[in-house]
Amino acid sequence: MAVAQVKRIAISDSPIPWLAPLVALLVVFTIYPLFYNIWLSFHEYFPRKRAIQFVGMQNWQQLWEDTRFWSSLGVTFVYFAIALVFEIVLGMAIALLLDAELPGFGGLRAILSLTLVIPPAIAGMMFLLMEDAQFGVLTYILNSLGLLDKTTPILATSSTALAGVLVAEIWQWTPFMVLIFMAGLRSLPAEPYEAAMIDGASAFQMFRRLTLPMMSKVIAVAVLLRGIDLFRVFDYVFVMTSGGPGTATYTLSLYAWQQTFSFIKWGYGATLSLVSLAIIMVLANIFIRVFKVRW
Amino acid sequence: MHQSRGIRTLRTIAGWLVVGVFFFPIYFWTTVAFRNAKDIFNWPPIFVDFEPTARNFEQVFGISLGFGFGAQEAVTPGGGNFYMAPRLWDSIVIASMSTVLAIVVATLAAYCLSRMHFRGRHEFVNWVLSTRMMPPVAVAVPMFFIFKQFSLLDTYLGVILVHGLMNLPLAVLLMKSFFDDIPSEIDESALLDGASRWTIFRRIVLPMAKGGIAATAVLCFIFSWTEFLFVLTLTQTSIKTVPVVSSTFVTSIGTAWGNMAALGAAAIVPAFIVIMLVQRHLVRGLTMGSLKQ
Repeated sequence: MAVAQVKRIAISDSPIPWLAPLVALLVVFTIYPLFYNIWLSFHEYFPRKRAIQFVGMQNWQQLWEDTRFWSSLGVTFVYFAIALVFEIVLGMAIALLLDAELPGFGGLRAILSLTLVIPPAIAGMMFLLMEDAQFGVLTYILNSLGLLDKTTPILATSSTALAGVLVAEIWQWTPFMVLIFMAGLRSLPAEPYEAAMIDGASAFQMFRRLTLPMMSKVIAVAVLLRGIDLFRVFDYVFVMTSGGPGTATYTLSLYAWQQTFSFIKWGYGATLSLVSLAIIMVLANIFIRVFKVRW
Repeated sequence: MHQSRGIRTLRTIAGWLVVGVFFFPIYFWTTVAFRNAKDIFNWPPIFVDFEPTARNFEQVFGISLGFGFGAQEAVTPGGGNFYMAPRLWDSIVIASMSTVLAIVVATLAAYCLSRMHFRGRHEFVNWVLSTRMMPPVAVAVPMFFIFKQFSLLDTYLGVILVHGLMNLPLAVLLMKSFFDDIPSEIDESALLDGASRWTIFRRIVLPMAKGGIAATAVLCFIFSWTEFLFVLTLTQTSIKTVPVVSSTFVTSIGTAWGNMAALGAAAIVPAFIVIMLVQRHLVRGLTMGSLKQ
């Protein structure tokens, strides 16, 4: 009787007043920009005529021949893959190391969370200073260890610039993985490990057969959220290298932004952001399906 | 698992060392804020032994800390103006107002998504999540044009709106996870007593979710505080937040590292303090409510 009554009330509830403000704002923030970008990708701004004109498929055809676009796509994927692998592996290693009640470890976890609240643009500046060729402390350390020639400026050499940017990225976001993985490790049940110990399993076997499978949901969520941000990286390259030297650190987001605001190619810039959006959507949705991530 | 004393000692040292490596850039940056130029541009770099000065902070905040240096000199001989107190204020206004916007809208929606049953609810949650995937550059460009039309460029209102919107997916999903923690039997018995949904929400559920709201607000604040691309695109001269204005310290006559570090340190310290307050909910926040600690 009571249950039926609650059900009746619950059914008569209308979600509309509760969701209306959210929907209105999200439409402005996502649906409108999406359609605007699509519309703009078939147009181009002509500074001399000070007018936007319809150009048909021109921007989309230009993509195929634009080597800078393909190279920015390549840089973005390389950045994405290297950062993700380092952050997952380092993150897991550090999480396993710190997952113990040892002197001061509670404080260490708190210290690790500090990197996450630093504006990425300022983190980029920190590493720009530390990687300076003349007086950078990281340059000095690498020199002393014999890993880097003093005459090689890290961020101004094509072969090392991306690595220089990735150091800042990996420094700032490995703790993201560490904190999430540690929370995952702490929620694991103890019994399977006790059983495995009795069976004489090695630490590596237990990690491989117990920890990894039980942590798969946690890892999937962390990888999804980090992966989305990695693919749209902008701040670090903007402040550290502006894409240079040459196109060595030109990411897709930076290229799209520059086409729009530096080269006043509004239509082509919109086309590039749509490509970026499409790739993220497709990859993220495949990932969500394959790893059954649910909110 | 029982480990021998030796292994435990080694592990303790290793843990401290690893975290030390991660802490080093923060330490170094903070010391740069207290250095004179000669101690910044030294080779080999100085790690510890430098002559501390408050000059960088005095220039950035236009105040005298009693070391015989006044605000008038905030404009350096090179022509760069490093008086940045108003930019810190811009950051505070934008981050706090956009947080209020995101929290109000998200709390309403999250309560509904947590309690009411309607067709397409699961799809709706997925849609909210998918808006988190929009690359900022794909949003910033259309926003630039619409803001231009409505004279919202370079205004507080414009940036507050965009930062509020940017934080909505996080705030909705995170608040939903906090509401899901509150047993729905409480709502149901109040419904039986004749209370309306609105009364239940305001009188019962909201007070119970206070901690969750605070944690969500802190994270929204930090994401607005650290955001770069939208502010870079949607502001011009009258307002700028700290991360964007920091990047302008790199000039053709050299970079004012000391001033930049002072401003950076001043911007990072409040964030450090607030993140310490929400350690308990940090992982839940970082995973948008998907993982509970």
